[in-house]
Amino acid sequence: MEVVQEYRAYRPRPIKREERDKVTIVYGGLTWKHERLIQGALENAGYKAEPLPQIERRDLDIGKELIDTGACCPTTFTAGNLARFLKEKSEKEGKDKVKEGYAFVTIGACGPCRFGQYHESYERVLENLDFKDFRMFLLDLLQMEQNEGGIEITMPLTFGLIYSMFLGDLLTDMEYATRPYEVVPGETDRVLKDSIELLYQRLKERPQKGKKLGSLLWHVTTPYFANALKEVKELWDGVEVDRLRVKPRVKITGEFWLQTHEGDGNYNIKRWLEREGAEVIPPPIAVWMDYLIYMSLWRMEESREFVEKLWLKKAVVKLLLGLYHYTYNRLRKALNNIPNPLPPQEELRKLARPYFHHFLAGGEGFMLIGKALYAHLNKHAHMICELSPYGCMPNTMSIGAMQAVLGKHPDLLYAPIEVKGDAEVHALSRCQMILTEAKKRAQREFEEALERTGLTVEDIRNYEEDHPELKRATYKIPHYGYAGTSANYVVHVAKLMGRI
Amino acid sequence: MPLLSIFRKKTAQGCDYRIDRSHIKVGIPKFLNVWSTHRFWIGFLKALGIPAKNIVFSSDTSEEQYREFGKGRIGMDSCYPVKALAGHIGELLTTKKLDILLVPMIYSLPSFLKGHVMDTLSCTRVPMSVENIKAGFLKEGNEFEKHGVKFLNPFVSFAEPHLLPKQLYESLKEALDVTYDEVERAVREGLEELKRFDQKMRKKTREILEWCAQNNRPCILILARPYHMDPGIGHEIDAEFQSLGYPVVWGQYLPTDEDLMDWLFGADVEAGIIKSPFDISDVWTSSYSSNTNEIIWGAKFASRFPWITAVVRLSSYECGMDQPTYTPTQKIVEASGTLYFKFGDLDETKPSGSVKIRVETIDYYVKKYSPRIIERKLKRLEGRRVPGGFGE
Repeated sequence: MEVVQEYRAYRPRPIKREERDKVTIVYGGLTWKHERLIQGALENAGYKAEPLPQIERRDLDIGKELIDTGACCPTTFTAGNLARFLKEKSEKEGKDKVKEGYAFVTIGACGPCRFGQYHESYERVLENLDFKDFRMFLLDLLQMEQNEGGIEITMPLTFGLIYSMFLGDLLTDMEYATRPYEVVPGETDRVLKDSIELLYQRLKERPQKGKKLGSLLWHVTTPYFANALKEVKELWDGVEVDRLRVKPRVKITGEFWLQTHEGDGNYNIKRWLEREGAEVIPPPIAVWMDYLIYMSLWRMEESREFVEKLWLKKAVVKLLLGLYHYTYNRLRKALNNIPNPLPPQEELRKLARPYFHHFLAGGEGFMLIGKALYAHLNKHAHMICELSPYGCMPNTMSIGAMQAVLGKHPDLLYAPIEVKGDAEVHALSRCQMILTEAKKRAQREFEEALERTGLTVEDIRNYEEDHPELKRATYKIPHYGYAGTSANYVVHVAKLMGRI
Repeated sequence: MPLLSIFRKKTAQGCDYRIDRSHIKVGIPKFLNVWSTHRFWIGFLKALGIPAKNIVFSSDTSEEQYREFGKGRIGMDSCYPVKALAGHIGELLTTKKLDILLVPMIYSLPSFLKGHVMDTLSCTRVPMSVENIKAGFLKEGNEFEKHGVKFLNPFVSFAEPHLLPKQLYESLKEALDVTYDEVERAVREGLEELKRFDQKMRKKTREILEWCAQNNRPCILILARPYHMDPGIGHEIDAEFQSLGYPVVWGQYLPTDEDLMDWLFGADVEAGIIKSPFDISDVWTSSYSSNTNEIIWGAKFASRFPWITAVVRLSSYECGMDQPTYTPTQKIVEASGTLYFKFGDLDETKPSGSVKIRVETIDYYVKKYSPRIIERKLKRLEGRRVPGGFGE
């Protein structure tokens, strides 16, 4: 009897150890900053590495042509991006060389959301471009799906990737806290580029200390990365800012790829918001990892009666969480705490609980609601801009649940923006409507702060003349209960002047 | 006290109910994966002393239900099976005089593929839809309170049945005044009831397939999510084929008997391609979603079973779980020469005209090619032991 079925799932050829210096690892899906830093971590581990080209509008059209209809926009954009890379490389180097010389590594295994099935769409790309023998691997939470020595996820590489993520997040926070207030246009971008290159070199030249336990100990205790950030801080010390520019603070939330992305994939909305006069609070990737660790802790507690050695397992996860936050905060401190702290997951869960169960996994889960409420109630932002991809399964659900949140908190300025990738004017005009109200609130706050302190803008300018350190991008303005930077700045100067 | 005992009600197992709950009326919307777990909920509530007549399901989905009861309650755009929930909740709330509205957030599902796949999760929208649509009934005041109805939405993971008693107890303890032991016993009853129903349906499907074999008649397999059985979601496309005289079976209730599995999948297992007849890793590597896994397995079944000569795939507009499966499913089916047809982007409106035209076309092809397909597929199975009911 013959075996009936001829269709088989895609299985990549393994990369052998001896191929390691011949095959370039290709990856993408994050910001150019994170991707450059990951390149440093991979090169440090002995791999050749190259990020995919930056996402462009044409990737959406390429993706639509190649994958099954009805995909969400992150799937379509990233599939199209992979296709463009393969086409362009083939034109330059020849198809066979691309098949042998490159391997694409992507994240998978997210579970119920389509994110865990992105690779199925990438397989359609490979199939339709006649690249079925091109190698693509799934990185399943730091565990390679297939591994025959060519790619090894070692402890040093894992830490390299985690630090790349942390450093990328922190520099992104620096960037968005500074650029709206920079006195010399373009200064932030220039310093940012230099900072990323410096950190790339540090990651690439990172000393190899031990394999497992030794490596773990070194990475959690070393001042190596904090020292690198102190060097970075010196670069940012030279950037002059004007914090008397009144700007609404807009917190970005939403689907993971779309909220992290900086480019055509989300209409470049962060840059657009800045051009429209806002200060953007970007979402760090580190929050997502924090969420996943907390979820494992809560799941353990949920099934506590059935978990052996619960206390030990909980202690290990809590230790992991402690080290995670300690490391992130230590790095923040090296940048004078300008980057935002990670939001407390327990608090987010509590805030979201009446509206969204914390075990509803998929996408950002309860965090979309928790983060919006946390920022609003603690006056960290004037407005929430939630970026939701067209066709995103989990994100649309939390947007629906936000109806009840807005019923209870009608003063929360919330702009859910559906991103299809090809309807820019519609999306941006929706955002602009809410932004107009946010601008008014920022202005009212600023005027209230001036009235409360009895200061005028001129008083503050005069004080700045005598205290130029206030105009440094790295000067930390404490939070005095206002959402806006300028209002908090007024109160801070008043305190320094002894006016309040 | 024999006299007192006549006032006590008994469960199926002969256990006393702690308190009388026979007056409590519970409404359950017939939506999404309630379609594949409804027997559990009936068995569970009956075991807690709620009589069957007081367990009320909403009507089938319809445009009228959606418009009349769901209007103004939906705050996002998603697939229609999710949006339709607003109509189901609204209908139960306003027309059934309930005490409790039970809308479970079904995170994972019971599945015959468990142990052979990575997980048996629901689509992420299945459990989330409850919080989503609930919000529409809370945004301008609590509609449940206004109607004197307790809204309960327990988070339940059928893939971890040991957690069910705890999950349901936490959610129901106050509303139903139940003890943990009562809930634990009721969960057992519910799962048994679901199992019995499942076995009955699989047996029935086998009878149909045997009839096809004995009469050498082609059969049509519907591959869809369980809620496409809802006439308002699947638009009764299956019935169109039945009206033409075709036996129609659904992928969810295909028989899984050992003899049949060995006949169809034995060669693959012996060749080391798969570890068991229920292993789908040869065609689908990200086997997290329960319904997706079963659709993929159904496609494999169809590609081997001789008298299933055509597969009809149903899929709702904007279904993110189905989207990555379109090509693999079609290729699995067509690789065996079996006919494959898809009705995609189904929404609230029944496209009667286009369905009719397509059904006529499909009928033409099934009639024309079925004899050859059956012959070819039987030839491939030569040499293997034919299970009872499928031979000469």
